[in-house]
Amino acid sequence: MASLGTFLLLASFVTCSYAAVVSVAGARRRSRRLIESGIGAFYLICALMTAASAVIINAFITGDFSIKYVVHYSDSVQPLFYKITSYWGGLDGSIMFWVFLLSVFGSIAVYVNRERHRELIPYVVATISTVQMFFLYLMVVHKNPFQQFLGAAPADGEGLNPLLQNFYMAIHPPSLYTGFVGMTIPFAFGIAALATGHLDDSWLRAVRRWTMFAWLFLSFGLTLGMIWAYEELGWGGYWAWDPVENAGLLPWFTATAFLHSVMVQERRSMLRVWNVTLVIMTFFLTIFGTFMTRSGVVQSVHAFGDDPILAKLFTAFMVFILTVSFGLVIWRLPLLKARNELDSWVSREAAFMVNNWILLFSAMFVLFATMFPTLSEAVTGNRLTVAGAFFNKWMVPIGFILLFLTGVGPLLAWRKSSVRNLRDSFLFPVGLAITTAAVLAALGMRVWVSGLCFALSAMVIGTITQEFYRGGMIRRRNTGTDLLTAIVGLVGRNKRRYGGYIVHLGIVLIFLGFGGNGFKRDEQVLLKPGQEAKIGTYTIRNDGVKVSDDGQKQATTAYLSVFQDGKQIGNLYPAKWAFRNHENEPTTEVAIRRTFAEDLYIVLAFQPSDLATQTATLQMTVNPLVNWIWLGFGIMALGTGIALLPERAFSFAIAKLPVEMPASTTALTLLLAALLFGATPLSAQKGMGGPADQNIQSSYYARNEFEKKMQHEIVCTCGACGHATIAECRKDPCMTSHEMRAELATYIDQGKNRDEIIQAFITKYGSEEMLGAPVDKGFSRLAWLFPYFVGATSAVAIGFAAVKWSRKPEEATEAAPLDAALEERIDDELRDLD
Amino acid sequence: MSHRYIKIGITAFVLVGAFVGLMWSTLREGTEYYKNLDEVMVNQEQWHGKQLQLHGYIVPGSIYRKRDSLEYKFKVQSNPARSSEGARDQIVEASYTGIVPDTFKDEAEVVLKGKLTPTGFHTDPNGVTAKCPSKYEVKSAGAGL
Repeated sequence: MASLGTFLLLASFVTCSYAAVVSVAGARRRSRRLIESGIGAFYLICALMTAASAVIINAFITGDFSIKYVVHYSDSVQPLFYKITSYWGGLDGSIMFWVFLLSVFGSIAVYVNRERHRELIPYVVATISTVQMFFLYLMVVHKNPFQQFLGAAPADGEGLNPLLQNFYMAIHPPSLYTGFVGMTIPFAFGIAALATGHLDDSWLRAVRRWTMFAWLFLSFGLTLGMIWAYEELGWGGYWAWDPVENAGLLPWFTATAFLHSVMVQERRSMLRVWNVTLVIMTFFLTIFGTFMTRSGVVQSVHAFGDDPILAKLFTAFMVFILTVSFGLVIWRLPLLKARNELDSWVSREAAFMVNNWILLFSAMFVLFATMFPTLSEAVTGNRLTVAGAFFNKWMVPIGFILLFLTGVGPLLAWRKSSVRNLRDSFLFPVGLAITTAAVLAALGMRVWVSGLCFALSAMVIGTITQEFYRGGMIRRRNTGTDLLTAIVGLVGRNKRRYGGYIVHLGIVLIFLGFGGNGFKRDEQVLLKPGQEAKIGTYTIRNDGVKVSDDGQKQATTAYLSVFQDGKQIGNLYPAKWAFRNHENEPTTEVAIRRTFAEDLYIVLAFQPSDLATQTATLQMTVNPLVNWIWLGFGIMALGTGIALLPERAFSFAIAKLPVEMPASTTALTLLLAALLFGATPLSAQKGMGGPADQNIQSSYYARNEFEKKMQHEIVCTCGACGHATIAECRKDPCMTSHEMRAELATYIDQGKNRDEIIQAFITKYGSEEMLGAPVDKGFSRLAWLFPYFVGATSAVAIGFAAVKWSRKPEEATEAAPLDAALEERIDDELRDLD
Repeated sequence: MSHRYIKIGITAFVLVGAFVGLMWSTLREGTEYYKNLDEVMVNQEQWHGKQLQLHGYIVPGSIYRKRDSLEYKFKVQSNPARSSEGARDQIVEASYTGIVPDTFKDEAEVVLKGKLTPTGFHTDPNGVTAKCPSKYEVKSAGAGL
């Protein structure tokens, strides 16, 4: 079986190289057959990797101890579930799991997009295949999970590390890898867009969902890691700024930045270079994170061991990625020029830009601080380490700025916010924040960092509530349903926006949990039987320490009674488990009493000498609000899920507007919409009573053929619809398209023709972004050429004049008889000029 | 145009300056030397009073715990107990109060956070991190934060 596995890996490697080469060749020769062959080979890799995975899982289940990897990470008594999860328990297997996931995701991405983004597909296949080749090469030459013992094979395995025999730890790596590997897909599409020069927004549309999906799993993986650290490692916290944790956080920062800045590109055609760079950075950081934790470059108690060969291979690959990617970006810079400039710093795109800088800065800071010990050793020779306190000193303020932007961003209008818009939309959230701060201060809250955190959280909640309420009110008016259905319909109509707000709500809950950390209490006590200790509002009594054995492990358990306000509220049983074959590495079984307000978290520290005296050495922690972090992640996942849902999912609530609506109601609705929906950009920007208002009621439907034609020619600038024309954009509530249709109607009433109307739109929006098709290209170019044409003509004319006037007088007299009268007149005119 | 560039230049200069300043000041407080025991013992006085992360191995049989308390005294040496260089080992006495990790035992590889004094190494609360004695590729439990 092992040789079959090795063969499958080799076959995958060969197929990868074939797929990469044939795809690029096919794209360059425009040969459909070569491209199809490349895609076929690409699917084949997926099949081969699935087979290889089946082989290794089979080896684990049947206990094939001739394979080294199986011996290291499993044994015969392990439960079946952990036998299967041992697949990714070690480095070799996790690399293979990585390639397997990548081949599956890649195949799905190629299959889904093969028609819509036909021109990109060959390069997508080539990019993903190249990445797979690297990992397959790594396995084939250096870390083959199917490697066998040369001599006699042991009778039984060493068993999976007991710390990893935990449900969260079993599903944590696949989730994190799904996130990491998922980030390769946007990268592949980005590279394909750069290579082909199809750098409009279409590649972004292809990868938007993938990025969200990968981001969701990355977040999930990070959360699971936190839960695991909290429940299994038993030091009372969940995040220690360890290099392994940081490695997962780095791409999370850049992916989050990308998810935001993508909106700016869709909406305003800005930040194009930035977006490509973020996609490349995110992918690079996933590779770098793996390199950092797996090669022993960074020293950490959690690091996975020292491997210079792996370090060299990874370094070479990373240099390759950076050279190729940024080489392509520089080559394509002319095509990546922004079509708009920032109009004002008080605008949503500015908020997004600041958010992006801060997220990127966070990534760079965490990277720098994580690498600092290695860097300092390389530069000064002294290894200097930075502790968690250093990270916190920087990341806490950064977190606050991000939280603040989460509250502010959605309230700002695109392009430029008017003073009125600011006043209308900020009143409630800011009021809520100030009220919260005042109430907390009055209640005697002394930890100001947590107080600030809670106040900012209140502000974000205010913002989100206001957005939902205002949108829901408009929709209720439009559809005549109740507010709740209206809000559900609203979410269904603009899933990405409102899903995003739900994600923000989750983030707020997570921040609440972080804020609770400021009130953490910690005690270490030694309790003899019957003795009591106090922590927070709790009293803990030691009822004794007992040892038991269930065949797989020996458990030492402390029996504790917990009292609050004099009443017994429960028992806790913190324990130490010593697994067979791992007697020297007992695992900590933390006892946690969970409530939404706080966790009582007790760890038994056990020394053999304690057993005789029945003494319990306890580490007791009270962690306020910690469960809100896990809850917050749940809400975040819900929000992302909504944003990812296909269109049909909300059909029950997103009934179309009634076609025959009384005109007066429509007008009122739209007016209300304009008044209430402060965040909708153009309403705020242009103010109310413009010429648009009189025609707003008729704006939905074209009154004649010409209007219909024009509606199909002009693109909505709202950004949520992905550049639909204003005839098609019926996103609800899309005030932008309403207003643009109304404007169009006004122009038509004024008797303007097509070119005049287009000119009017261009003048108004300052660019051609709203045009469905570019203005008649030849004409456009002529217009652009006009100044040069005038300039060139003038130059030629002056030249001619100069030659003519500098001619000898006799030549001039020769010509004179032809028209004496004209000559005289010109002389007069020239005299006047002097 | 040039006026604009001057403004951008000054802004960038101020921002970068502020950033470097902040980074420098926080780094000065936040960093600790990570040293192997033998590196420190060469010139002990130089390291007295400095915040250190000391890497070493626990001398077998040297761990003492005060009865009914969490006060520990133990010895740390610069090389693993069974290595051939054992004879030329540097040894330092260390003290600690609190709960020790499970992996804290004879021969364990440890990293201690704290300060070196003429009377020995004073370990900070929660300052003991121990690696597994056996070589595992996977995460090992240790005290965090």
